[in-house]
Amino acid sequence: MEARSDLLVEEPQKLDAFKGVKKVTVEEYFGSGHRTCQGCESALVMKLMIKAAGPRTVVLGSTGCMYVANTTYYTTPWVVPFMHTQLGSSGSAALGTAAGLKALMRKGKMKEEAINVIAFCGDGGGLDMGLSAISATLMHPQYNLLILCYDNESYANTDIQASGGSPWGVNTTFTPPGKKHRIMQTRWKKNMVGMLAAGHPECRYVATVCASYALDMMNKVRKALSIGGPTFIHSLDPCPKGWDYDPLYSHELGELAIETGIFPLYEIEDRKLKYYGKTKKIVERRLKRKPVRDYLLRQGRFAHFIDEDIDYFQKKTDEMWEKWVLPGVIPIHPEEMGK
Amino acid sequence: MSTIAVEVIYRGIFQKTLAKHITRGIVLAARKEGKVGVAFGRYGDSPERNGIPAKQFAIVAEDDDELQISMAQYEPTQVDVTIAVDDTLCKGVESWAWYGLQPVNKLLKENGTLVVTSIHNPEDLIPHIHRKEVPYNIALVKGKTSFAGLWVYKDDHTDVRILGVLPRVAPQLFSSSSIEQMIRDEWNDDLKVASAERSFEKVQIRKVKPDEGNSETPYSFTMPGWKDMEEGLVVRAVPNGGQYEGHDGGYRPGRSPYFKKFATRTMRPVIDFTTCTKCTLCWLQCPDSCFDVTPDGYYEANMEACCGCGVCEAVCPVDKCVTMVNESEFADNASQWEMWRADKESYAGWLKGKIESRPEERSHGFHHRGQYESEKVEQTD
Repeated sequence: MEARSDLLVEEPQKLDAFKGVKKVTVEEYFGSGHRTCQGCESALVMKLMIKAAGPRTVVLGSTGCMYVANTTYYTTPWVVPFMHTQLGSSGSAALGTAAGLKALMRKGKMKEEAINVIAFCGDGGGLDMGLSAISATLMHPQYNLLILCYDNESYANTDIQASGGSPWGVNTTFTPPGKKHRIMQTRWKKNMVGMLAAGHPECRYVATVCASYALDMMNKVRKALSIGGPTFIHSLDPCPKGWDYDPLYSHELGELAIETGIFPLYEIEDRKLKYYGKTKKIVERRLKRKPVRDYLLRQGRFAHFIDEDIDYFQKKTDEMWEKWVLPGVIPIHPEEMGK
Repeated sequence: MSTIAVEVIYRGIFQKTLAKHITRGIVLAARKEGKVGVAFGRYGDSPERNGIPAKQFAIVAEDDDELQISMAQYEPTQVDVTIAVDDTLCKGVESWAWYGLQPVNKLLKENGTLVVTSIHNPEDLIPHIHRKEVPYNIALVKGKTSFAGLWVYKDDHTDVRILGVLPRVAPQLFSSSSIEQMIRDEWNDDLKVASAERSFEKVQIRKVKPDEGNSETPYSFTMPGWKDMEEGLVVRAVPNGGQYEGHDGGYRPGRSPYFKKFATRTMRPVIDFTTCTKCTLCWLQCPDSCFDVTPDGYYEANMEACCGCGVCEAVCPVDKCVTMVNESEFADNASQWEMWRADKESYAGWLKGKIESRPEERSHGFHHRGQYESEKVEQTD
C-alpha cells in the first residue's frame, strides 16, 4: 500500500553553511525603513535570518515588535512575502502555510519548488502564548518549516511587561521594584529549547543563537531550513529599550550574555547535542565564565539589584553549569534522580 | 482668554520621563494660579521606540469649559510654545511612515517661542530650522542633551531648567513663584528651585524673522486612504536591491521609500576608508541595513537609512575607522564614499575636522551603574 502523497516529506532547500563572513551573500531581503529602536538587535535578527534563508522564503510573524514596528500603516521593510499572524499562532501559521504550499503544488496550481517557511515570534508570543501551537507543529514531521523565537525578555512592543522569558529580578512594567518588595520577578527564565528538545523526539533540529555571533546564527538558520521537518531556533536579543542601555552596546551585551553563561549557545541535531563558540569552551572548562555582575550592572533594568541579588543570580547561573544533567540545557540534577 | 498649548518634542524612550516631568509640571504650576490643565502623550507615538521623535502636550485654560472645548484634539494644530529637548530635532521631525519631515516649528503660532536645550548658540541652530512664514522666538537653555532610558532617570535638572524659563517666554501660563512652589511641592529640593531660577535669568531669547533659517522644502508623502488600498490589504514589498547608484557593481539594498528615519539620528558614523580593512562587521551587524557596498568593496553608511545607534563604531576592530559624530555637525546627507573618491586628501581633512570638533560626546543612556550621579556633578558645576 502506498503512503498518502500529502504525508510524504519533500526535499527542502539545500543551504550550505557560509564559510566565513566574506562568503556571506550580499543581498538583503529585510530593508531599512522600519520603526524599530536605535540599536534594535531583533531587527538585526530579522535581517540575518532572511539573509541566511534567501529569496525563496515566506515569512510569517506573530504580533510583537517585529510585526508592529515593521509595518507602520501600509508599509513594509520586507522584500520577501510576509504575513502577520496572531500572537500565539506562529506554530499554526507556519504549519498551515507549509501545508498550503504543499497542497497547491500537488494540485498543480504552483510550480513544484522547495520554498522555505519561517514563522517568527517574540518571547511573549513563543514562550508564553504560542507554546502549545509550537509544540503541536513540531509533532508534524512531514512539513518543512522553521519557527524562530526572537527573545528580548519582555513584551517589549507594549512597553516592557514581564514574560516567561524575563530573567529573575528584572524591572518590568509588571514587576516594578518597590520599597517593600525589591524583587518582583521571582521566576527564573523559561528553558525553551531544552523543553522542546526533550518533549519532541521527532523534531530533528533545535538550536539557540545570538545575533552578536552573526555567522553562527545564520548557519544555524540554514541548517534548520535544510534538515527537513519542523525546526525551532531561540535567539537572545539585547533590547536597548527594555534592558535600558545605550544602543551602541547591543552587540556587546549579547556577547556578555554568552560569556557569563546566562545564555548558552548550542544545537540539538537528530538528538545529538553540540555546544558552540564560547559556550563550548565553558563546558569543556577551557574558558572561565565571566561574573554575571559584569552583565547585570550594565543594564538599567537591574539597577535596583543589591549585592545579595547579584549573588543569587550568580548562584543560579552556576547551577546551570555545575548541577544540570546537561549543562545549560536540561535543568535536572542527576544526583537527585536516584533518590 | 482661550487655551494655551505647549508641545514637548523629544526622543522616544530616551526622554520620555523628562517630557512627562515637563508637561506635568506645567499643569501643576498652572493649578497654583487657579487655572486648569491637562498633560498627555500623542497616541500615534505609542509604543515609543528609542530615538524616534515623539510628542507630549500640556494644555492650560482659565476654566474647565475652556479646557474641554479644546480637548477633542488628538494633536493641537497650533501651540504657543514648542519645547525641543534635543537640538538635533531642529533639523526636522519624522515620527512614523508617511509623516515626512516636519519642521520643528510647524505648530508654532506667530510670535510663539521655540525653547531648545543646546550647547550651541541660536545662530548655530537657526540654519538647521526650516523657515516659517511668520516671525517667532527662539529661547536657548544652555546645556547638554539629557538622555536616559526607560527605568533609570537621569536627574540633571533639565526638567526644572526648562520649566523655569516658561514664565519668561510665556508669562500667560504662570508666574515664576508658581513654578517654584510647584517644584518645592513635587521634589522638595532647593537645588532644583535654584536651577529653575538660574535658568530664568540666563535664557537667551532671540527673534527669528521669516527670511531666516533653512529654505529647503522638507520632503513629504501622500498617505493612501482606505480606498487606495489593494484587495486583501496587500502592501507592496520593498523592491530588490541593485547596484550602487551611478556605478557598475556594488550593492545597495532595497529600502522602504516612505520612512527615512533621518530624524531618528542624533549622531552619525564617519568612516575612514583608508584604514578600513573591509572586515564586513559594520555592514553585517547594522540592524538597519544602512550600509551600501561600494563598487570597490567598501561599506558606506547611507544617511537615508542610518538611525545613529553606534553599533558600527562598537564592532569596528580598527581604531578610529568608524567614529560617531554629533548630527548637528552636518548640513547634508551626502555620500562620504563619493567625497573620499573625488578627493582623498580633502576628505582626510574633512574627516579629521569632524572627529576632532565633536562638540558634545553624546550618551544615549545607561552605560554602567553610578554613571548618572557622576554626570550630575559635571552639569551643576
